Amino acid sequence: MVASPLPPLLGMAVAAAAVFAAGALVWLVLQTFGYRRTPSGNGWKGVTYAFGRGMLPWEKESAGRHLLTLGAGALYHAGVFLALLQLLALILGVDVPQTLAPFLQIFLLVSLLCGVGLLLKRAFLPVLRALSCPDDYVANVVVDLFLLFSLLTAREGAWTNWLLGISIAFFIYVPLGKIRHCVFFFYTRVLFGLFFGKRGVLPHAAGGGER
Amino acid sequence: MSDRLDERIEALTPEELEAAVRRLRDVITRGDAAAAQSCLRCGLCAETCHYYQASPSLEAHPAYKLNLVLAVFKRYFTGFGKVAPGWVGGRALDQDTIREWLDSLFGRCSLCGRCFMNCTVGINVPRFVRAGRGVLTSLDLVPPDLQSTVRMAIEKGNNMGIEPQEWRDTVEWLEEELRTETGDPAARMPLDESGARLFYTVNPREPKFFPLSLVAAASIFHAAGENWTFSSDCYDVTNYGLFSGDNEVAGAISARLFSRATGLGCDTLVLGECGHGFNAHRWESAEWLNGTDVPPMRSIIQVIANYIREGRIRLDPSRNSKPVTLHDPCNLVRLGGVIEEQRFVLRHSVSSFIEMHPNREQNYCCGGGGGQLSMSRFAKRRLEAGRIKAEQIRATGAKIVVAPCHNCIDQLTELNKEYKLGVEVRTVAELVANALVRSS
Repeated sequence: MVASPLPPLLGMAVAAAAVFAAGALVWLVLQTFGYRRTPSGNGWKGVTYAFGRGMLPWEKESAGRHLLTLGAGALYHAGVFLALLQLLALILGVDVPQTLAPFLQIFLLVSLLCGVGLLLKRAFLPVLRALSCPDDYVANVVVDLFLLFSLLTAREGAWTNWLLGISIAFFIYVPLGKIRHCVFFFYTRVLFGLFFGKRGVLPHAAGGGER
Repeated sequence: MSDRLDERIEALTPEELEAAVRRLRDVITRGDAAAAQSCLRCGLCAETCHYYQASPSLEAHPAYKLNLVLAVFKRYFTGFGKVAPGWVGGRALDQDTIREWLDSLFGRCSLCGRCFMNCTVGINVPRFVRAGRGVLTSLDLVPPDLQSTVRMAIEKGNNMGIEPQEWRDTVEWLEEELRTETGDPAARMPLDESGARLFYTVNPREPKFFPLSLVAAASIFHAAGENWTFSSDCYDVTNYGLFSGDNEVAGAISARLFSRATGLGCDTLVLGECGHGFNAHRWESAEWLNGTDVPPMRSIIQVIANYIREGRIRLDPSRNSKPVTLHDPCNLVRLGGVIEEQRFVLRHSVSSFIEMHPNREQNYCCGGGGGQLSMSRFAKRRLEAGRIKAEQIRATGAKIVVAPCHNCIDQLTELNKEYKLGVEVRTVAELVANALVRSS
């Protein structure tokens, strides 16, 4: 993809939306500190575990039992990360190297298919459907559209304005709906690590955690 | 659901419901608030729950139980939830919600934390379930038998309502047993011994129904030459406030125990074989008591393991020759961090030790946790939910199941009958006492 000049107003709007998303997410995190403090302790080994070995599928039964969903989720999130990088390059006027373009397009396509697959799973599995609220579907659709237009833009620069438009919607929705987990996931994971680390449960010793 | 609880729900006033919402706000910590924003409703936690595995239904799904409480949190405490609750799954705290809370939070969760440990994000689901229970408690909507257990502990100092004289008589009688058992006429079960190194606490079901388990622990202390004591009026290791979700009551129960232990000048509070008692006093009380001085605490299992390491007791494993398996109590192991000590002790006390699978922090709850044994209305579900544990036990081929938790022992005893397992259910101390080699 070759970066083409952006309509200045649209580029600024995307940047403003991204700043709004970042600011709103920070505000949401800070807001939680108003709640009563939990006991402090030395759980940093647990935190290291939570972000390291604890992310492996065999360490979490929920992931280990559902490898297909885990894989789809991982590809989906990786695709979003790539799409954001592409958007950043676009805003900064940096060209994506031609040699990387096919790989980028394939990855975005796979990521998009994973997102759609997860959406269909939510819509058609009765238990999952019963657990879901409109936010779950809309968040997925917003991200899927972001991926779709990232893919189209990666193929043809003519889609750039469409991508910028959906990016604005995407960034505005980030702090409003469940996509806010992009920040709160890490926060919760830290607390998870502190909880089990402080109590000496995780990381388990060699031979511990035997299944 | 009993008529009393039904009537109470029907009679709830808008003011009471508003107060209940404020109560929920009071028990939410910053961690809870973060977690509330993190649940993806991915549904992958389903099979981590023994209730769901025993009876796969939406109501048994951990994410469903979590979101029952999160829905109310979102409705009242998040921006989007206030404006468009339906969009984010927000829900008002009304009579219908209360009914679902009562049935699911009390009746379909043993607060075992297995979903927490295996959540793709790491959300502390039991904290939300307990927060919801706390709200129900504030509305006087606790299953009556659980509430009476809590009330008994507050009023009588122990959850079984044992009168002080009855306790003193029991200890006196057991002291005679101990002397016979050890062959030492000077062997003692001390009460209120000032300056003793260890302050030992027990589950009141021991003096009430299984007094010889107290003799087992006393035999071990005797063999180790330990300086220890019971309290004459504050010896109950349990804390059912953990299960009712009532932080004030739970804190008061813990504070009373800590105060008695430090008042007698004891170095260490030793928590008897009780999973939830260990978790409540050792860990959760820090939040309830908000920085109050807490004495050093250890599980009796850790104390016994140290005796073995230090050579203070000698054991002959051949005296326990039947194959033994170990049940890991959730509150002691996954939520408590006492994981390897019981294995170390058993490997020195029995000839044949077989692990069940999964084990340690990935163990399945026996089904008796979370106050389930004190809520007769949910007994059928409790026994169904214990099916996985029964299958685990059967697969080991063991003849003895050891559980360092008296609530687990009660449940395992019922599972033994229900699923015809044909095993004996014992405490760790009982097997250790049986393996003791006494010096002549």
